[in-house]
Amino acid sequence: MNWELLWKVVLIFTLCGYALLVIIVIFGGARNIVDMLRDLTKPTDQD
Amino acid sequence: MDVFATNFRTVDWIIVCVYICIPVVIGIIVKKYIRQLSDFIVAGRSLKLFIAIATLTGTELGLVTVMYNAELGFKHGLSAFHVGIIETLCILAIGLTGFIVYKLRQLRIMTIPEFYEMRFGRNVRIVGGIILALGGILNMGLFLQAGARFMMGVTGYSNPAGLKLFMSVMLIMVLIYTVMGGMVSVVLNDFMQFIVLSIGMLIGSAFAISKIGWGNLFAAPSIVDSASWFNPVSEGSGFGTLYVIFMVVLTFSAGALWQSGTLRALSAKTPKIAKQLYAWSSVSYLARRVIPMLWGICAFVFVSQTPKLLSAFQGPDSLNSQFGMPIFMAKILPSGFLGLIAAGMFAAFMSTHDSYLLSWSSVITQDIVAPLKKERLSDKGRLLITRICIVCIGLFLLIWGLWFEAPVSLWNYMAVTGTIYLAGAFTVVTAGLYWKKASKTGAKIALYAGLLAILGIGPWTTGENVPFYLTDKFIGVMTFLIAFLGMIIGSLLFPDKSKTEEGKK
Repeated sequence: MNWELLWKVVLIFTLCGYALLVIIVIFGGARNIVDMLRDLTKPTDQD
Repeated sequence: MDVFATNFRTVDWIIVCVYICIPVVIGIIVKKYIRQLSDFIVAGRSLKLFIAIATLTGTELGLVTVMYNAELGFKHGLSAFHVGIIETLCILAIGLTGFIVYKLRQLRIMTIPEFYEMRFGRNVRIVGGIILALGGILNMGLFLQAGARFMMGVTGYSNPAGLKLFMSVMLIMVLIYTVMGGMVSVVLNDFMQFIVLSIGMLIGSAFAISKIGWGNLFAAPSIVDSASWFNPVSEGSGFGTLYVIFMVVLTFSAGALWQSGTLRALSAKTPKIAKQLYAWSSVSYLARRVIPMLWGICAFVFVSQTPKLLSAFQGPDSLNSQFGMPIFMAKILPSGFLGLIAAGMFAAFMSTHDSYLLSWSSVITQDIVAPLKKERLSDKGRLLITRICIVCIGLFLLIWGLWFEAPVSLWNYMAVTGTIYLAGAFTVVTAGLYWKKASKTGAKIALYAGLLAILGIGPWTTGENVPFYLTDKFIGVMTFLIAFLGMIIGSLLFPDKSKTEEGKK
């Protein structure tokens, strides 16, 4: 098994994949926070 | 080159001080949103997907995570990456199947032992709560110590009193805002820290790789065995096949049932979001392992090329290997950015600490104190007990962190103490959800079996020529196996009475 190649692929995938995830979560999360605070001011806890 | 030489300057101190005040301010502001216990513990079950990903990452990517993974990279090289791969695949599998987390969210519980009561009765809940709190609090026992070592390494503060000083200041900061804001402030801070820390980690990685060079990163230093640098199951890598098996069992069970992580799934707005959360977060679970390991690997390559540093990490009075990564980062990152990284790491320390403090204190309140009391505890009473527990656990952490040293490595300590709870919990919850014959006796045996893992943090697990049956990995695997067999044999030999009677009818 070519361990060196495997770890190279893992490292590149991690750095690129995480950078993409961070961008998605920043924009999506900001919207979610507004919704969460709005939900918490409602009188009851509903599913 | 001075071992503790650093680029950390006054401007970096200012960045850190300003940054760490923000969570406290958020804690004060969001206090008005805390009206009932579920708001405090599970943020009113109002988390949507992206904020849930940020907060799960914020919790599971703490300073201690960075420290123990960097230490693994520093000590074992690229072969350490296997832990990240295993964990990522386990989290992805949970996310795609919804194994355990989907059903638990459907049940609308706030802690794992609540499920024990629902399925196996109150006594099992109390036993499970005690073991969970014990394992969990021991597990975070070295968080403060590791955090303080990072700050010492980065700031270049080598005075022996530094450990106590940093530990005390960090503890006070985290206690203030966790006690005040509960889960709502935790969620908001996790989001902010997710952004700062993630960007800092990606840029920090670029600095580390450019310093060492992409080619040197994949060439084993001359002072280590080339095969063990790459291959986790090779002889001499410090891991081996048994360790890999332990990691599979441990990371899968921790992924599904580690209280602080599961708390995010239980806080999700719907069971479907709880499931999606895990699938998406598999990428951040990979990053939380691989990126700090990369820093540790770069640190080792750097140390191996610098004779004075190398001598500081070798010999009888050598520096703890946890210092490797922060000392390296302190030398390669420019002032200003170093302050931002330190602030982000400090914030990560707080975001992990607050979640864990909240998790274990809510378990003590909900699963030990409340079930033991005859009359029903009011929400106000529960909140007060939870807050008192947070302070008490904090004090324990300070004392434990000052005198206890991880026998093998920080991660091995975390793995074994995690097993105290996970071996029993994983068996009990899985059997409780998916096996009709699971009984109270089987559940109790499985939970008690988890206590065997305490043997894995004894002084006999360290040093050369340790017999395999005394190694922490063997003790860890056996604890899971005994808990699993205990559940099956106990349930078959001692089925629950009501079920037996129903069978007779």
